Amino acid sequence: MLLWAARRVVVSLVLIWTVATVVFTVIHLVPGDPAELLLSSGGVAPDPAAVAELRERLGLDRPFLVQYGDFLSRLARGDLGTSMIDDHPIMDEVLLRLPRTLELIAAGAVLAVMIGIPVGTEAALRRGTVFDRATSATAALLLAVPIFVVGTLLVLVFAQWLRWMPAGGYVPLARDPWQHLTLLTMPALAIAKGLVAVVFRMTRAAVLDSLSRDFVRTARAKGLSPARILVHHVVRNAIIPVLTVLALHMGTLLGGTVLVEYVFNWPGLSTPLLKAVEARDYPMVIGIVLTISVLFVALNLVMDLVYAALDPRIRHA
Amino acid sequence: MTPTRRSLLAAGAALPFLRAWPARAQRQTGVLRFGLSSFPPSIQPWVNTGTAAATVKLLIHRGLVSFAPDGSLRGELAEAWSNDSPTSWTFRLRENALFQNGDRVTAEDIRWNLEQMASERSTAYHRAQAQRIARIETPDARTVRIVTAEPMVTLPLWCASYHMMMVSPRSPTGAGSLPVGAGPFVLKGQERGVSLDLEAFDRYYKPGLPRLRGIRMVAYADENLRVAALQAGDVDLIEYVPWQAMASIEADPKLRLDATDGPFMYLVFNATRPHLGDARIRRAIAHAIKREEIVKAAFFGRGSPLEGLPLMPGSAFHDPELASGWRYDPARARALLAEAGVPNGFTTSILATAQYGMHKDTAEVVQQNLAAVGIQAELRLPDWATRVTLGNRGQYDIAVMGTTTENNDPDGLSTLIDGSLAPSFVRSFGLRVPRIEELLAAGRAEFDGGKRRAIYAELQRIALAEAPIVGLAWRSQGYAMTPEVKGFKALGGALNFYSGITLEEASIG
Amino acid sequence: MRRLAVPGALVAAIVLIALAAPLLDLPDPVRQDVARRLSGPGPGSPLGRDEFGRDVLSRLIWGARASLTVAFASAGIACALGTLLGLLGGWFRGLGELLALRSMDIVLCFPPILLALLVVTLLGPGTATLILVLSILFLPGFVRVTYAEVLSARSHDYVEAVRALGAGPLRILLVTVLPNVAGPILVQLSLAVAAAVVLESGLSFLGLGVVPPEPSWGLMIRGARATMAQAPLLLLWPCAALTVTILAMNLLCDALRDWVDPRTAAAVRLRAIDRVLPGLLPPPRSDAVLKVEGLTVEIDTPAGVIRPVEDVSLAVGPGETVAIVGESGSGKSLTAAAVMGLLPPAARVAAGAAWFDGVDLLRLHETALRQLRGNAIAMVFQDPMSSLNPVHRTGDQVAEAILAHRPITAAAARREAVALFRRVGIADPERRSRAFPHEMSGGMRQRVMIAIAIANKPRLLIADEPTTALDVTVQAQILDLLADLRRETGMAVVFITHNLGLVAEIADRVVVMYAGQVVEQGDTASVFARPLHPYTRALLAAVPEGEAKPEAIPGTVPPPHALPPGCRFAPRCPHAAPACAAGVPPLAPQEGRHVRCVRLDVMRGETASA
Repeated sequence: MLLWAARRVVVSLVLIWTVATVVFTVIHLVPGDPAELLLSSGGVAPDPAAVAELRERLGLDRPFLVQYGDFLSRLARGDLGTSMIDDHPIMDEVLLRLPRTLELIAAGAVLAVMIGIPVGTEAALRRGTVFDRATSATAALLLAVPIFVVGTLLVLVFAQWLRWMPAGGYVPLARDPWQHLTLLTMPALAIAKGLVAVVFRMTRAAVLDSLSRDFVRTARAKGLSPARILVHHVVRNAIIPVLTVLALHMGTLLGGTVLVEYVFNWPGLSTPLLKAVEARDYPMVIGIVLTISVLFVALNLVMDLVYAALDPRIRHA
Repeated sequence: MTPTRRSLLAAGAALPFLRAWPARAQRQTGVLRFGLSSFPPSIQPWVNTGTAAATVKLLIHRGLVSFAPDGSLRGELAEAWSNDSPTSWTFRLRENALFQNGDRVTAEDIRWNLEQMASERSTAYHRAQAQRIARIETPDARTVRIVTAEPMVTLPLWCASYHMMMVSPRSPTGAGSLPVGAGPFVLKGQERGVSLDLEAFDRYYKPGLPRLRGIRMVAYADENLRVAALQAGDVDLIEYVPWQAMASIEADPKLRLDATDGPFMYLVFNATRPHLGDARIRRAIAHAIKREEIVKAAFFGRGSPLEGLPLMPGSAFHDPELASGWRYDPARARALLAEAGVPNGFTTSILATAQYGMHKDTAEVVQQNLAAVGIQAELRLPDWATRVTLGNRGQYDIAVMGTTTENNDPDGLSTLIDGSLAPSFVRSFGLRVPRIEELLAAGRAEFDGGKRRAIYAELQRIALAEAPIVGLAWRSQGYAMTPEVKGFKALGGALNFYSGITLEEASIG
Repeated sequence: MRRLAVPGALVAAIVLIALAAPLLDLPDPVRQDVARRLSGPGPGSPLGRDEFGRDVLSRLIWGARASLTVAFASAGIACALGTLLGLLGGWFRGLGELLALRSMDIVLCFPPILLALLVVTLLGPGTATLILVLSILFLPGFVRVTYAEVLSARSHDYVEAVRALGAGPLRILLVTVLPNVAGPILVQLSLAVAAAVVLESGLSFLGLGVVPPEPSWGLMIRGARATMAQAPLLLLWPCAALTVTILAMNLLCDALRDWVDPRTAAAVRLRAIDRVLPGLLPPPRSDAVLKVEGLTVEIDTPAGVIRPVEDVSLAVGPGETVAIVGESGSGKSLTAAAVMGLLPPAARVAAGAAWFDGVDLLRLHETALRQLRGNAIAMVFQDPMSSLNPVHRTGDQVAEAILAHRPITAAAARREAVALFRRVGIADPERRSRAFPHEMSGGMRQRVMIAIAIANKPRLLIADEPTTALDVTVQAQILDLLADLRRETGMAVVFITHNLGLVAEIADRVVVMYAGQVVEQGDTASVFARPLHPYTRALLAAVPEGEAKPEAIPGTVPPPHALPPGCRFAPRCPHAAPACAAGVPPLAPQEGRHVRCVRLDVMRGETASA
């Protein structure tokens, strides 16, 4: 067990290093550099001397390998560096914004599970009926409509027409819990939209698969109540692939909430990432991507542990 | 809403959105909530980091002079100024001007600021202008004499720029620290990427101002959301009103729109590429474009065609006839093309960006219009950063650009048409018209009003013939607010982005 | 097959319309008419015009080309490449597996938008770049799905068999493994195409997608969103096009998956017996534990209604072992399932009764039936590995059976489970009861199954081929166990098998079934000594005995939807006569047993003379 964990950790570290290197290389390859762009803001011509000056101050005029080496040594010390735009420590920015994105994803996932698993199970049990067809069609619909359209419509309906909610924004939980949760509702719904469809489909397929298994026949032969068979045998087995898929999607959401954050003005981690790429703020881009990679890897490790807890065959394999 | 009523309601209803009361942040009395179009990447005083930062700087800092709501110069830290000789300007400072750290603003401080801006390692936006200062004299604590190498009639104008604000030499240094200004508001705190909180400076040198207790600036990157926030009552004032929303805001009795034309769209050329070095072809392109379509398509009709150099109508230098020198005339365009030896047109490309809708939309219309006279142009729409880099390096054929001039003075055109300046994405590449450069220099040094007008009239005539840029359209720049907001005014023309200065007189409720 | 038709036609229609765009007489999708921007439906533009005055319908159809090309191309490339990587990684393990999986992990670490942003910034926007980005984004999904399926397929018997035959890895992969992973890959493909279309719209929204003025649905949505207040319908058309396309794709892929990996799908229907005979027949007086009368089971199939069990009657006395014997497809398992009320959803009881304790099991309400199952009537199944839930400990599964019928504490149930383990002959029962099924051998698992079955002291045990999956020595042990239990508790046993040797060993009476009907039944000794029905004789002749060569029965069992008229064995019977095909022979009493044959006199004559 310990050996397995150690191996996984080593592999993960290599993975993260690879990601960091790839991002570092690519971002330096794309045209444009932060000094030039910062001073060109607002559509005005930067003074070339000023640009050169800023470039030197930011260390951009050094050879690529020197910059890379510097980056690696800082990384080894756990220092993500400072933003090239305004000198702000990147770790602070990450620590500030990461929980908000995580909160968004977690809220969306909770909603997705609360709705997707029961409805998916029911649809599998009532396979072929109107209920099944209707819910499957709804799931397909949810996947089809783009998230920024859904978001825009949510704002239109709930904030502008009904005035039930503010039109986006953020308030820290400590300052005003009610407001915080209210503001979380719509973006979480938007995130849940895609997740719910995935969880529904996966649950339906997994439950269908479980239902046809022999151990369900045994359970029925034992005379167990349908509820117990469903929960203890069918869903218990079906939950494994569902959780796997959910974790996968949550992982990809880590950097993918940009459209929701944009439409609802939710200050998560994706927006500064996008802005950093736009401004070619190299340390910020790499800092955020590294954070996401580390989280993703950690999520995978946790999922593997959960998987092993749920499925004893894995434990002993 | 008192807590007890809230908890009663909360006990009654299960879900937040079933409650009856609007769940939004309440306005504190005397605090204006401003919806910014983006969070300022940096608010260092002398560096140009965009218009959102400019608005914030106009609240925290002050310079020697500034622009009044009617567009004229007025004194700020300086209460009077004059030029004793063509190469020297004298500023007399206010008695009671204080920095926000309590220090009096002295002539030494002004000198320090200007020298910093001009220094070797400076990244100041106006570094070039600052370097044209030969020396600064401070005969006493309240007098500053600026001596320039050459006559410079426009010196007070760029002293009014929001990149020329004066800060205290005793400001804290170190990473991430902000210099101390002398403006009406103090930066109390910020939530990076989200909002800024400003508080009134109680010892501001204008008595009774600012009227507001504070300002809370919240960034709404999505324009639809910005408008929605205003309509929902989450903010009191927004900038950069999207053009598609202007009509509905005007029609809404609960809101007020204050919009003026100011920024504009134009084309720049790479004169080193085939055909584009020929002025006739550039003129042909100018005549081939239906500018009303750009105004309609890109700006929903909120704007007007720009058929000459971007000089505001109403400015002393505006000439109605010269202002329509590039009017739509496809026959003329074709004739010019034939004269230049390409009667059937040619293929080229237009560089713009997909990131900003107005750039993309303008480019699409231009492409269509050029196709109508035989010029097949392919659109290149990278992201903004790449587009800027390509522009700076001259890696394009024709490019769409949008900007505003520094101020309403025609010298502001230099940055667009002076080919002797270093290559930049805001102007054409490899395109030098020596006569234009001479005229620009002359205009800078000419103090006589009538002679100056003549210089710029000739400049326009030559520009119309040579087409170093091609004007496309003025666009409307709008602010929208609730009727409780009083005293805020959108300045006209290029000064629209200076509108934040009127916030010192604004009040709410 | 029918389920494929509708979505297939829809997808085909969409693709065809997109392909046919140049041939249809559409206005130029790129030509602007700014004066008429945002106008509603009118002559020449049935869906109105967009923010530049371009015709919406035309842009919708031309946009379909761009959006669909990107979606199908990227999903297809990701599918092909991903499946290949997954196959290689899953089959060869080692370095290949490491590279395949870890490189996919690297891709997954990249937020999709960032990846798109970086690639587009590097290579410039456009359809080709978009396809590249989306292909990379979808690769991990395919690789993982394929890899998982290959891993599970590797251990399956059919793969082992083909390997044993000496087939090379390529052949195995392509011919054996690939068709079995086709199902999940098809599902993944549908998800990928759907996601691609949606992602394209998102990327175009951010300005990273298809380059204008070329139309794409994503660009149309972006433009429409800006003018949402003035022209809300503009947003509807591209969204509707997106939705319909994705729905059709999903339905098609679901149908394809079902076609590749069929499962019978039908809602539960009312039993025919409840519709035909409203009243309950009075129970017969007898001391039989189980008395089945005229049981008939029907199944709906695409080829029509079949009757895999027809007019089956049997009786089991207390303490008796009755063996039901027949080839696979004879209906013996279904008979047992019908009695227990465990028929698959597509099947239903069409006629008959099964009396147990004075109630007809076939007419009993499910709740009451549940109280009998696992309690008075228990069943042991054939495949012990799949019959036990892999995620619960074996001891818990036995305790579960106890707790379902008796109100004792969980701890007491666990103790009883351990005792049962001991009773069925599992050594070290305390430790074993905490083990999981996969940690046990086949024989031990079957013992667990038996423990579950006898946990509540059933009066009737139905064993459906309980030893078929076990090796011979274990088989003997299980049979001994069953015999012990029977002696001890006096429970009746119905033993289903195709192995005549076993029947001879353990059964008091035997019921021989062929093609859904009972052809001969009676006490074992006399049936085996003097088989009357030609099929029984053929079966016995086919059993290898000593040095004598076994004789195979010529012909095959008739399929249930193509049964011969009259006697079902007639086509293979050496004694068949035209009378046999005239009508189904009745099950007639003969010499103390029941035989379904009209030619008995003839055969008796032959036997006598033989």
